[in-house]
Amino acid sequence: MIRLDNVTKSYMTLGGRKVVFRNLSLDLPEGRNIGLIGRNGAGKSTLMRLLSAVDLPDSGKISTEGRVSWPVGLRGGMQKNLTGRDNVKFVCRMLGLRRQQMQEKIRYVEEFAEIGDYFDQPVSTYSSGMQARVAFGTSMAFDFDYYLIDEVMAVGDATFKRKSRKVFDERLQHSRVILVSHNMKLISRMCDFIVHLDHGQAMCYENVRKGIAAYQKAGGEP
Amino acid sequence: MQIQRDVLYALLLRELSSRFGKSRGGFIWVLVEPIAHLLVPILIFGFLRNRLMPGVEYPVFLVYGFLPFLLFKAICLQIVDGVNSAQGLLSYRQVLLMDVFVAKAMAHCVIQAVVFVIVLTGLGMLGFDVLPGRPVELAGILALTAVLAFGLGVVFAAVTSLMPDTRPVIKVMFMPLYFISGILFPVSRFPDEWVRWLSVNPVLHLVELTRTMAVDGYQPMKYMSLTYPLALALGATLIGLMLYRLRYLTRVTQ
Repeated sequence: MIRLDNVTKSYMTLGGRKVVFRNLSLDLPEGRNIGLIGRNGAGKSTLMRLLSAVDLPDSGKISTEGRVSWPVGLRGGMQKNLTGRDNVKFVCRMLGLRRQQMQEKIRYVEEFAEIGDYFDQPVSTYSSGMQARVAFGTSMAFDFDYYLIDEVMAVGDATFKRKSRKVFDERLQHSRVILVSHNMKLISRMCDFIVHLDHGQAMCYENVRKGIAAYQKAGGEP
Repeated sequence: MQIQRDVLYALLLRELSSRFGKSRGGFIWVLVEPIAHLLVPILIFGFLRNRLMPGVEYPVFLVYGFLPFLLFKAICLQIVDGVNSAQGLLSYRQVLLMDVFVAKAMAHCVIQAVVFVIVLTGLGMLGFDVLPGRPVELAGILALTAVLAFGLGVVFAAVTSLMPDTRPVIKVMFMPLYFISGILFPVSRFPDEWVRWLSVNPVLHLVELTRTMAVDGYQPMKYMSLTYPLALALGATLIGLMLYRLRYLTRVTQ
């Protein structure tokens, strides 16, 4: 259960204060896979930042039950002059894992990413596909109740895509997902609850088809 | 707060290992900077040493000037840069910007300590009298330097988040700071009026205090005060934490 209570969020820009949400209240029901849709600039990414606690609201409260992941496939969190292994170590230490547990996670990511010797090279030498493999593997190595996914799920070549989809579907046996995407096919495949953001307002739809229809009526692409 | 401790530990190790790198080269590079800082003035001004300071060896004088200065500079600049370099890290909900600041400050205390122990040992082996006269007080002064650097760093970070154009200004400030902090020459040799103006600079006080604690028989400048940098350190830290609490340090997202 994730609840936003009277949340206001604005950003300072050169043109003055831009309010993204004003007094937004929203209940995301438990046990549902949530699709977050809306046109560009509707506040999807801001809502994701608030949910992942990267950003704090100006006022209001956000309460989450269960463990919420960082944005899956996060690449910005990797230190470029450290190796892939050291970056995974960092995440493990941050989450309080030591020795045995840490070694297990590292082995998992190493096997998942399949980048061979590069795992012990600095991240700065990676191709963007290799970075994505390590980042995605790191996200999959840990169990969360909610996985936050912003847009791009599909990284790497076909084999890797198939593999990541398989692992992710496994995760979805006991975890839920909050997915931001413009890809309605992906949304209807993965989600069973729609939040449509439009002009700082959030409309919830129990029925995925209705939610997508509302988004398309508001000017979203099919 | 177990989480906070884990995060700090992880950040600290990350900071240290990315600084020293995997190879030995990384560590040598960390050492080269302060040694170069020492060698150049020694070669240029070494001959003046006896005339300027009877009883105090010039390399020892220099080392204990650079120690607080480089510590101050490293922590302060790292924190100002930290706002941007930490953006990726902040995507992990466990990591707060303040954790990054504290980890950076701690890492640079460790780095500077290691570097200076090595440099001092080197000088000691060359026959200089480098052992600090009052080590406990010296450690206190250096801790004060770190706190001042931390506080000012957070304040500067807030200023640069609000006005990104000021970033280069703050970086450039460190150039003259090097010259007005009495690192190369004892300021007590300057005319009294200059010294009074120069003593607005808290780093000068810290440099002089460090030497007083480290070098027996060192004659500090007339206006040296402990209260001034101490008050400034506490004030800056307080203001910095306040600005942080009011969330002046979040960058506008693209």
